[in-house]
Order: sequence, then structure tokens, then C-alpha cells
Amino acid sequence: MGVYIAGRLASTFVVMAIVGLIVFLLLHLAPGSPAAIIAGDNATPAQITAINHQLGLDRPLPVQFLVWAGQVLRGNFGTSIFSGEPVMRLILQRLPATLSLSLVTIAFAGTIAVIGGVLAAWRAGGVLDRILMGVAALGFSVPVFVVGYLLIYLFAITLHWLPVQGYMPLRRGFWPWFSHLILPALSLGLAYLALIARITRASVLEVLAEDYMRTARAKGATPASQLFHHALRNAGVPIATVIGIGVALLISGVVLTETVFNIPGVGRLTVDAITNRDYPIIQGIMVIFAGAYVVVNLLVDLSYSLIDPRIRR
Amino acid sequence: MNITRRSVIGGAAAGAAAAGLAPAPSARAAATAKTTLHAVMQGDLRSFDPIWTTANISAYYGAMVYDTLFSIDAKFQPQPEMVGKWNLSDDKKTYTFELRDGLMWQDGTPVTAADCVASIRRWGARNAGGQAVLARTKDLSAKDDKTIVLALKEPFGLVLTALATASTPNCFMMPKKDAETDPFQQITGRIGSGPFTFNQKLTRPGSRYVFDKWDKYVPRKEAPSGLAGGKVVHLDQVIWENIADEQTALAALGAGEIDFYELPPLDLLPQLRANPDVKLQVMNPTGNDGLMRLNCLHAPFNNVKARQAMLYLIDQKAILNASFGDPKFYHPGPSLFGYGTTMSNDANTAWFKQAPDLAKAKQLFHESGYKGEKVVVLDPTDFAFMNNSAQLIVGWLQKIGVNAELASMTWGEVVTRRASMKPDDQGGWDIFVTYSGGYDMSDPITQIALSANGKKGWFGWPENAQYEKLRNQWAEAATVAEQQAIARKMQAVAWDFVPMVMLGSWTQPAAMRKNVHGFISVPDVIPFWNVSKS
Repeated sequence: MGVYIAGRLASTFVVMAIVGLIVFLLLHLAPGSPAAIIAGDNATPAQITAINHQLGLDRPLPVQFLVWAGQVLRGNFGTSIFSGEPVMRLILQRLPATLSLSLVTIAFAGTIAVIGGVLAAWRAGGVLDRILMGVAALGFSVPVFVVGYLLIYLFAITLHWLPVQGYMPLRRGFWPWFSHLILPALSLGLAYLALIARITRASVLEVLAEDYMRTARAKGATPASQLFHHALRNAGVPIATVIGIGVALLISGVVLTETVFNIPGVGRLTVDAITNRDYPIIQGIMVIFAGAYVVVNLLVDLSYSLIDPRIRR
Repeated sequence: MNITRRSVIGGAAAGAAAAGLAPAPSARAAATAKTTLHAVMQGDLRSFDPIWTTANISAYYGAMVYDTLFSIDAKFQPQPEMVGKWNLSDDKKTYTFELRDGLMWQDGTPVTAADCVASIRRWGARNAGGQAVLARTKDLSAKDDKTIVLALKEPFGLVLTALATASTPNCFMMPKKDAETDPFQQITGRIGSGPFTFNQKLTRPGSRYVFDKWDKYVPRKEAPSGLAGGKVVHLDQVIWENIADEQTALAALGAGEIDFYELPPLDLLPQLRANPDVKLQVMNPTGNDGLMRLNCLHAPFNNVKARQAMLYLIDQKAILNASFGDPKFYHPGPSLFGYGTTMSNDANTAWFKQAPDLAKAKQLFHESGYKGEKVVVLDPTDFAFMNNSAQLIVGWLQKIGVNAELASMTWGEVVTRRASMKPDDQGGWDIFVTYSGGYDMSDPITQIALSANGKKGWFGWPENAQYEKLRNQWAEAATVAEQQAIARKMQAVAWDFVPMVMLGSWTQPAAMRKNVHGFISVPDVIPFWNVSKS
């Protein structure tokens, strides 16, 4: 197992290097230049050329790439072209908000979806199943920003129960932190809830038809024990997989949610950096996210052995 | 390795706790305090160097942290700000400026004339008005700690106007060590001598920018007027919240989470008017002017007849209505110097009364010898005004038989592509739409779009020697009346050779909570001094 984990972790660096190269090329070959944005609307072509030179953007691409890659290998992701702040500091400043939103979303969506999916499978074809799967279909089809605005209108503007926007760190208290995450997590989580609930229902339905479930019923196990101890555990691997995919997808999903709810997270940082053509920030975030994807996948793979003892053997 | 459910759950909980325990700002604690003002500005403050960039938001930052030697008053006339006494020699060639008492950098050191000399030089490398001043300068030096001497080669009437400019980059005074930075590189310092200090500890770039009242700032005794006069600060803290989503910003204003919203979209104004806790105020009385640039280097617009055709083609009202809806906030107008500026006039504007006249436009295109060349109109889909205008222009061109096509892209791509002097089949362009602050349009020296010096000038590169001669005369004029007379002549020439086409002007009100008072409306800067909350 140790060798397996070490191998997977080593592959993380390979993936990060390949992603780094692709992102670098995409950014530098795409039209648009930070120099023109920096120079402003009244700039002359000569001023834009001067800024390009100052930023080193007039050097050959391979030279620019090697300079950047050399910095990254030394743990330095460079500094923002616009703010002059170190990229790593900017990312670390934004990470708590994004992690908080992601964790609350996954906790909310995962819990409700798994319970809902199991119950829908238990009462397959019944009213409960139809309601739960209807909600799931809605979660898939309604865009995050529509749900977001509706929730803001109802809970923040009309009822004044929750704040409209912003983020409060956990060290300022649990409720201030949590209250700022409820609406964003609900908006963002609805799609994941739908995805996880549908997979859970399908997996549990399949397991419920197995012989050992008949045995469990025959030996007098309660419905709750049958569903959550026997069925859910055996249906766990695909559910863990889809939750893992959900965590990975969250990285892109938070972009819109962070914008609608004004949460100062990594998603907003990415969008702003792309708009400004702030190359060091975009490259830094993409490389780090690539590494995070690999690690999340590894964790999902490892979770299989927790869920299913047969895999451990 | 032994992984159990308990260890996984424990690890996740620890991660969550770590995420929340990261250092965080405490500014929001004062969200509803009467001495803290939360504002949503026009965009993100990307750069802390208001000389390095021309972005308005950086000039707003500059006006908080830095001060200027002169500032424009409510009538756009330059008035001394950091300067106490000043005089101009009898031959009108030597200015002597003496700094007023009590000026201090926010690190506690005194402001010196040497700091100001270095600041003027750096600004002069980036600002067109500054370039005009420095080009005529024989000597700029510090006579002593408080006295600056500016000796000119020849009299130049725009020195004080340039030093007081509200156009970016403004002539902000910085400590010498910052001011000696290459003008094309950003300064790292955040120390000024203005009415607010920048609170780096509570600031989160891209999210929130925090400014504290600077207790040691000594305001002038005069009442505030425009950007001039006493900058008396009534707030302890100003926080710029970077809310990117307009609907969210609007909801936050309605809920009292923010106090000021600089540029609410015009289509949301009915919602704002319906809120009894919110009021509107036009912050920039000179507004903005839409401009259409034509590439004068290549066919068809290297022919003056084709450029004249565009005057008759454009329906300004339709352009403005497409983006701004409410006629209360827009004004069609024919003047090269924008709508309602000190230089606006009606010389040679008969075409405006006739436009839109598609038949006339078609006839002029025909007279230009147009042979069906492709006309590429750059269309930045991320800017509503430019996007809407580009689509209308292409539609009208196609209607009169011009082979026009939209090139859809982001504004970032437009600013790169418009610099290309190549024909459009080699990555060039024929038309792009942009806009300028109305205040800038009154000054043909600082507003580079009002130049016509060919490839040395601005994108589109129109060239006309007679116009340029008049532009130089304008710079040397001694009085506003003289400038206005020359401006009429410039416009008369301009609408014959058509350096660009005007698309009309508009203003956009800011929205604020009703308990916010004292905002001063001036062009291109939002002052936070004189503002209070009740």
C-alpha cells in the first residue's frame, strides 16, 4: 500500500508539470496581453511595448517558460503582474473561504443525498421516490445563479435571516462563519445533491436485490439496519466515487457561487486573473489545482478499502 | 499504513478547522458603524500605483492615499492644494511653488520639494499633459526643502491645469524613493501624504481594500470645491468591497450591508428608486463620451469620403438607447469635444442634423471608390456599450452594402489587436468602439484620442497637419476664451477629415444609503473626504 501511495503521489508532480506546460502555452499563445490592459485606454503602442519589455513578455516563449518553471521548482510561483503580491500568498489568503464553502457544500449535499437516495431506493416507484428524484432533476436543471438569487431574495432580503453576501472566517465564531455559508452551500450543493442522490438510489436498488439482503430480512434486521448497515455499505464504492468526482468538480463550481455571493475564494481569484491576463496567478492556480485533483482521486481510491474489506485484501 | 474511518473523519475535521483558523480581517465587525463606510466601486483595485496605470480605480486609490500640488475646483479651474504660495515670473517662464506647512508622509517624515520634483518627473513620463509640460521645461528642481522651481523654455499656459488634472494618471506626490521608480514599473510603497492611509493588514487583494483616516493630515482651510479645498475626513474607515455581481451588490445595498454603490447598471435603477432607503447621485457630472475609431491606414477608411460616410451612418440615439435606455442619462451630440464640456461647440456640424442618413452614407462610400473590401468591426462582448454599438454599426454598414463583419472577442483582446497597424486580413482591424471621460474630452493635449499626428498618435492613426497646428496653438493659449475659439477651428477642420466619430454621451448615477451625506461630484475621481453617515 505504501509503495502504491508513493507512486500515485509521484505521478502528481508529472501531472502538475504537464498541466503547467499546457496552461503556459495556452495563455501565451491566446490573443490579449496584460501590457495593453496595464497601459490603459490612452496608451500609445510605444508605451505598450515598453511595458511588455518590463514584464519580460517580449522574450522568446521557451525562455519565459524556463524562467517560470525554474521559479516553481524552487517553490516560488511568482508575483501578480497587477498587485505585485506573491501568487502563493494570494492563493493561501483565498483558500480558507473556498475550503469552507466546499466542505459545507459536500457535507450538506452528501448527507442529504445519501439518506435521500437510500430512502428513494427503499420506496422505489412510490411517492417519496418521485418527490426525491423530482428534486434531484430540479437540482440538475436550475443554474446555480438562479437558485442563488432566489435564496438571497427569500432568506436575506425578505426574511432578513441570513446575510446577502460575504465571508466570515471561522475564528470570528461558528455562527458568523456558518451563516455566511448556508445560502452559497445550498445553491452550489443542489447539483451535487442531485448527482449523488441518483447514484445512491441506483446502487442501493441493485444491492437490495441481492441474496444477502433477503438473508438480512429473514434474520429479522430492522429496515434501518438493512438499508444503512447492509445495503448502503455494499453500495458504497460507486457513491464514494461520485462524491470524489463531486469534490473535484467543486473546484470549478465554486467560481460562479463565489461570484454571486461575493465570497473571496480561489474561484474569484481565478476569474479575475483570467480577465486581467495575470499569467503568474493563472499558472499558479492551475498547477496547484491539477495536484489537488490527483490527490482527491487518490483519496477516493484509498476510501474503497475502508468501505469494502474485500478490496483491502 | 492503517487507514480507518475514524482517522479519515478526524483528518477532515482538522482540515476544516485549519481552513477557518487562517488569519482573517476584522474590518467587517464595524459593518454598521457610523464611522465606517462600505463601498462597491467600479472594479477591482488591481494596481496600487496610480502613475503606472491609467485605470480609474487606481486614481481613486491615489486620491485617498496621496495628495496633489494643485487640484481642480468645481468649475474645473486649478487651485493650490499642497502648495501654499506660488508665483509666475513676469516673462511667464518660471513657476515657483512653495509647499504649505504641516505636510507629512504617512511614515512621519516631512514632505520635501525634492519628493515633489521626482514625482512630477515620473508623472510627466506617463501623462500626456505632463509630457507637454516637461517637453517645454528647461529646469525642474528643488530650491530648498519647501520650494520647487519649474523653469520653461517658452511660456506655456497649461502648467497648472496639467498639475491639477483629474485625468489619469493624476499628478500625485509620492516619497522620493517611490517616485524614482521607473515609470513603467510599479512602486512597492503604499505611503502618501493624503487624507487616508492604506490599511494593508486588513486588505485582501481582489476582495476588500481598507483605508483608515489619517489623523495627522492637515486639510486646507477653504471649503471643499471639486477636488480642491479642505479635505476634511469624517469617517474612521472606508472599505471598498469588490462585489463582482451587480445583482448581489444591489441586494447588499438594499440590505444595508454596503453604503455606496458607484456604478449600478442603469437597467436596475427602477429597483433602486423603489427603495426608500436608497438615493441616487451623479458622481461624474461630465459623464462619458462614446467614440468610434476608424483605421485610417487601410481601405476603406484611408479615404476621407468613407470616413465622412460614417458621420451620416451613425444614429447616436439608437446607440445610446441600446445601452442606457433612459433618455434622462444620455445626450446625443456632435461636438468633437464631447457633450457639455468647456470646449464643446457646434462648428461644422450640419451633418449631425441630417444623420442618420443611410442614402447619403451609401453615396459617400461609393464616392470613396469602395470596392467591397472587408470592414472588420472589433466587438468586445464583455463590455455592453461597445458590444451593443458594434452590432448596430455592422447592421447599418451591411444595410448600405458594405462588407462588414463582427470580430467577437474580449476587451483584453481588443486592446491588443487595435495596436496592430497591419491590414485586417493580417490581424488588423477597421473599426473599434470605446469611450472617454467627458472631462478628458475638453483637453486635446491630455486626451490622446484628440490628436491627429498619424502613427505617433492613437489607434486609428488619423493625420492632419492643419489640425495639429491648431492643437499646438490651443496648448499655448493664455485664456479659456482663446482656447474655446481655437477649439471651434479644430472642430471645423476635424469634421472635414473625420479623425473619429462621436457616439454620444451619458452619465451614470451612483446609489447610496440615505444616511450617507457629503459626496462631492467631480470628474474621474470619487472623493471620500467630506462624507459622513448619520
